[in-house]
Amino acid sequence: MIAKMALAPDVDPHVSWAPEREQRTGVAASVQGISKSFRKARVLEDVTFDVAEGESLVLLGASGSGKTTILRIIAGLEQPDKGRVILHGKDVTDLPARERGVGVIFQAYALFPRMTVEKNIGYGLKIRRRPRKERRETVDRLLKLVRLEEHRKKLPWQLSGGQQQRVAIARTLAYKPQVLLFDEPFGALDAQTRVRLRREIRALLRQVKVPSVFITHDQEEALELGDRIAVLNEGHLEQVGTPHEVYNQPATEYVATFLGAANLLLGVVTQGCVEIGSARLPAAKETTRFREGQSVKVVFRPEDVCISQDANLPEGCRRLANGVIEEVSFVGAYERLNIRLDLTHGPQAENEAPLYHVIINTPERMTGVPIMVTRPKPEANTTRYKAGDRVAVGLTSFSVLPNYTLARQR
Amino acid sequence: MKIASIRHVRGFDVARPVSIGVMLGIMLPLVLLPLLSIFIYGTNKGLGVFWSSLVAPDAIFALKLSMVTSFWATVFNVFFGLFAAYVLSRYDFWGSNAVIVTISLPTAIPTAVAGFALLLLWGKYGMIGKFLSEEQQIMFTPYAIILANIFVTFPLAFGVIKPVFDTMSRSLEEASATIGATRWQTFWHVTLPSLRGAIVSGALLTFARAVGEFGSTILVSGNLAGRTQTAPLYIFAKFNEGQIEAANAIAIVLALLSFVIFSVLFFARDWFEFEAQEV
Repeated sequence: MIAKMALAPDVDPHVSWAPEREQRTGVAASVQGISKSFRKARVLEDVTFDVAEGESLVLLGASGSGKTTILRIIAGLEQPDKGRVILHGKDVTDLPARERGVGVIFQAYALFPRMTVEKNIGYGLKIRRRPRKERRETVDRLLKLVRLEEHRKKLPWQLSGGQQQRVAIARTLAYKPQVLLFDEPFGALDAQTRVRLRREIRALLRQVKVPSVFITHDQEEALELGDRIAVLNEGHLEQVGTPHEVYNQPATEYVATFLGAANLLLGVVTQGCVEIGSARLPAAKETTRFREGQSVKVVFRPEDVCISQDANLPEGCRRLANGVIEEVSFVGAYERLNIRLDLTHGPQAENEAPLYHVIINTPERMTGVPIMVTRPKPEANTTRYKAGDRVAVGLTSFSVLPNYTLARQR
Repeated sequence: MKIASIRHVRGFDVARPVSIGVMLGIMLPLVLLPLLSIFIYGTNKGLGVFWSSLVAPDAIFALKLSMVTSFWATVFNVFFGLFAAYVLSRYDFWGSNAVIVTISLPTAIPTAVAGFALLLLWGKYGMIGKFLSEEQQIMFTPYAIILANIFVTFPLAFGVIKPVFDTMSRSLEEASATIGATRWQTFWHVTLPSLRGAIVSGALLTFARAVGEFGSTILVSGNLAGRTQTAPLYIFAKFNEGQIEAANAIAIVLALLSFVIFSVLFFARDWFEFEAQEV
């Protein structure tokens, strides 16, 4: 709804802001085997990824992961030690920033403080010595596109953060950039504005169809903005995939824990199951790529856990173990449960109740493995749990990752 | 009586008028009265005398010479200061700190020493001067005055411009580069406009200092009336000759000039700060 309102209703849909010559689909930008060190510190290690035409790719990583350096290398503001940067099939690695035709939206927007909004937007065409008439027309169209017509004579400091950002985008669109690079575009804004602008930009990019690269450390932002997400950790790519892929099938533990909350359990592959302590989790499909007896990690999201008080877990939910609820807390939109799993109980005896008496939580003795579980409100309202309740715990979806003893043993 | 007890008399803060009064009382004989006396004595024989002293050919010449030499020294030092500030804030090289100290040195050197040093270099028997023919000699010409002015005001514009360069966000220049501008276009369209305030105040400061320069000028100029005599030298010469009115007229002009320049600088600060806010 907000996104729709953000669009100017009467913008000509036939005007493209992408360079004319690549209306074809394909790879717009390609980063190949980039490595970079500053002094002795390795910042990037053999980073490779593509950005498709019209696609928006989010580079997600913690601060210090090297994501800004990648952006600067694509823009030509930094030189890689190794590797190539290809824009629309042309190797630009050795070209200076000004000859690359890349649009960078800097973190603080970097609008020229002495120029009005329209002069900022027209700057790219002015230094390209385009005729005055063409300049004026382009600026008019862009002002309309970013809905700043009535602010055209203002100076940057007279605009709000969101307006400044739109000027910054329009300023790059004026010269039909090869690719748009956004450096933490919402870093300087408050939470509410951030969400609103995110949707505005998403809608704007759909309209202009310019391939874009965002960098951010905010996973929510990454999931919402990216057609694909590239997760970066300490200078190397952990995984590149659609938001759905990286969230639901994280390739590494880092991806699993960086994007949203995740529970981790250590286990061993045994006959199509993962043996976690005394529990056996059926995982025929998930364990095919592992050999028998291999040490693995089971990763699952708090919302992928189902619990039941009568040992009958719903359809599609694979039983993991029994557990005791330790804490119930309400976190706005959902309910959060801390559960301790009993992973030491031997194989279940024939006549034992499915929910045997688990004692894993006494003042003298704290055994059991804690996990975090979330339940949506409707479910939390129909079946209420309190601390101390015994429950059967199952998983609707999880991923199995190799458990390397050393981080670099990939 | 205890100090604390005089602080307030029935809700009236005594400290305020007392401290303001003491401050002005100290300033009065040291700064205000000397300035005032130039104006009082300069005009007490009537404005006619003042005016005729002012329009005397030598006086006019001295004022003009001061303006012209100060102008060229200012032009040079602003350009050099801008250039040096750009180089020193953009590039880190071995010895760059030593260069910064060297540029700032001339303010710390007594002006008479500066003039003497210039004589030793450019004078008829100086290191460079001895290679110049009689017609090419620079010392005791207006050029020597410009050289002396450049030397003593050397760090002023640099000192104002450099900090602005240092605090300027690099991303503005980077943005300009990614948009497609050359270095020169970036400097002209982006960097220079942000330095406007610093350049203006650096220039005013340099000019004000150059107009009043005495110590180095008297050594290198030769103090020849109507040829190399600047306004401060004129004041000194006329005073020595006992022509107090002539000296006083020029003193008034110089005092007014610096008063105007420093007022502009002071009130322009608001303007500069406003500009800084935009950045």
